Amino acid sequence: MARGRFARWFDNRGWTLLLIGAPYVWLVILFLLPFLIVVAMSVATNTPTAPPFSFGGDHPWINLEPFTRVLTDGLYLRAFLTSILNAFVAMVLCLLIGYPMALGLTRVSKSWRTILLMLVILPFWTSFLLRVYAWMGLMGKNSWFNGLLTDFWNVLVPLDWAIRSVPMMHTNFAVVLVMVYTYLPFMILPLYASLERLDPTLDEAAMDLGSRPYQVFLDVTLPQSIPGIIAGGMLVFIPAAGELVIPSLVGNASQPMIGKIIQDEFGQARDWPMASAVAVALLVLMVVPTMIYSRYQAKAEGAK
Amino acid sequence: MAAQDDAPFLRIEGVSKSFGTFEAVKNVSLTVGKGEIFSLLGGSGCGKTTLLRMLAGFETPTKGRIFLDGRDMAAVPPWERPVHMMFQSYAIFPHMTVEANVGYGLKHEVGLSKADRAARVAAMLDLVQLSPFAKRKPHQISGGQRQRVALARALARQPKLLLLDEPLAALDKKLREHTQFELMSIQERTGVTFIVVTHDQEEAMTLSDRIAVMEKGEVRQVGTPTEVYESPASRFVAGFIGSVNSFDATVIGHEVPHLRLDVPALGSEILTRDMPGLVAGQHVSLAVRPEKLRITKDRPDGPNCMAGHVKDLACFGKDSLYRIALPGALVQAHAVNARRGDEGARIADWDDAVWVSFDPSSAIVLVD
Repeated sequence: MARGRFARWFDNRGWTLLLIGAPYVWLVILFLLPFLIVVAMSVATNTPTAPPFSFGGDHPWINLEPFTRVLTDGLYLRAFLTSILNAFVAMVLCLLIGYPMALGLTRVSKSWRTILLMLVILPFWTSFLLRVYAWMGLMGKNSWFNGLLTDFWNVLVPLDWAIRSVPMMHTNFAVVLVMVYTYLPFMILPLYASLERLDPTLDEAAMDLGSRPYQVFLDVTLPQSIPGIIAGGMLVFIPAAGELVIPSLVGNASQPMIGKIIQDEFGQARDWPMASAVAVALLVLMVVPTMIYSRYQAKAEGAK
Repeated sequence: MAAQDDAPFLRIEGVSKSFGTFEAVKNVSLTVGKGEIFSLLGGSGCGKTTLLRMLAGFETPTKGRIFLDGRDMAAVPPWERPVHMMFQSYAIFPHMTVEANVGYGLKHEVGLSKADRAARVAAMLDLVQLSPFAKRKPHQISGGQRQRVALARALARQPKLLLLDEPLAALDKKLREHTQFELMSIQERTGVTFIVVTHDQEEAMTLSDRIAVMEKGEVRQVGTPTEVYESPASRFVAGFIGSVNSFDATVIGHEVPHLRLDVPALGSEILTRDMPGLVAGQHVSLAVRPEKLRITKDRPDGPNCMAGHVKDLACFGKDSLYRIALPGALVQAHAVNARRGDEGARIADWDDAVWVSFDPSSAIVLVD
């Protein structure tokens, strides 16, 4: 069979190279280069010029001062600590809420599964900002929701402890609550993907060998879903730690998270080198767990 | 507990199971003795696996009861039954080593020290000849080895009853034959009662002490392999176990010790062993196994001789299958290739005129 000119032209090695190469070119131009610029900026000196930094001249070519400030200034350390703590608590809560939901998804009939999966993804169809504003409305002092919680509290506790409203807005509680709400699908979907692949006869085998259902879960289901737990954990923790919008809208201004610090340094303070140094520090902090994860994955792949 | 030695070890009493409107198992009653290898044989969808799952406790009978060693199993959950199962897919835990798989059930054994547990695992691995693979993960061993891990794991807790769901289906032919005999020898050494589910009649014939042939959720016949093969109770059983030539026939009359039948497809009257209870004019089936048919060039003496010619023949090495055209039917006959030689050594060749005959005692008369 004679092959058409188009097919021969398409089979050309050049095309294969282009198909594989294009994403890499994209990543280099739009991720690696900007990142290198940020790294370069982080060792520049802040000057009252436009743009507000310079290398050399009266200043040292490499200025490590922003980094020493990141490591020594309490403001940055506290912000990192707040970010990690909030992100970690949000991740654990997402796991505790998401795991039963993901497991439930694997146990219902096919048609229910489609409907429930749709419901998990449904919130993405509404603007993220709108959903945060909705939570602000619910948590605010004069909302019916806050009023209901207040009434509950006042009925249950002695009169001395009575309150006017539940202080929810502008707390880390609010930040964690909204982050759990926002990032829950990112936990459920990878968990579901890993749980859905498990062979249900393994559960029966464990039961047959004397394990009660909870032991089956601990011995068979849980260990096999660790890749899903790690993937979901990463997908929640990493964006949550760098979150800017949620803490700005519902968080405590006196306990800023790291995203807010970067924004302030870049905008109000016009200290681009400082903003870059904080960004680089955040990236390094996020790369460590990512590397642990890919290590683990490589090990798991090797085991297959 | 030798109190009720004559009572059957496993008694299934009128068990039915429905899924919605579909009745997977219909009013099955069986008894199995201690130390027996008992097979449930049938095609897919005949209810054999559902019955096995009810024994394991994964399904609850809609009707009927199951007694094991005198104890009603209805309220006993799977994890408390002294019954273990070897799954068709083996269901080996992929995240555990071979050793951990085999020892899994033992962690539920109260009062078993760590050392005892390790010794039991070692003994089990020895039994299935897997000791060198103890530390391997399931993906690092072959299919046949995985099958033995599954067997060792199911046997480790010394069950009263071992359920095997298509134990050999996933193995290739050579390994299957070897494993068959290994299973039998392990059963002999451990004395555990085996219940085997299979769709493979040869497997059931070699392995079992007794076979229950199932069709559409019902048990059609229970008996030893020889009984089921040589005296099938129905046309279905005769056709399911081994191959068979079967013909419509009409009873002419009793000629003690024979029965005379009119078989239009064979173009002659046929003599078979007498069967009481049949009356002249009754419609029955005549069944003859291919290996019971004799092929000769000359007309043999005796009854039941038909003339025909060889339509087709296939040589399998140890034996040959002939398809012989008779005036009204095409019959299959097996002949052992006893003599060694080239094509000339055959009993008959394509298109040769031959005589087909069989002994009256070799034929089976089926009313059903």
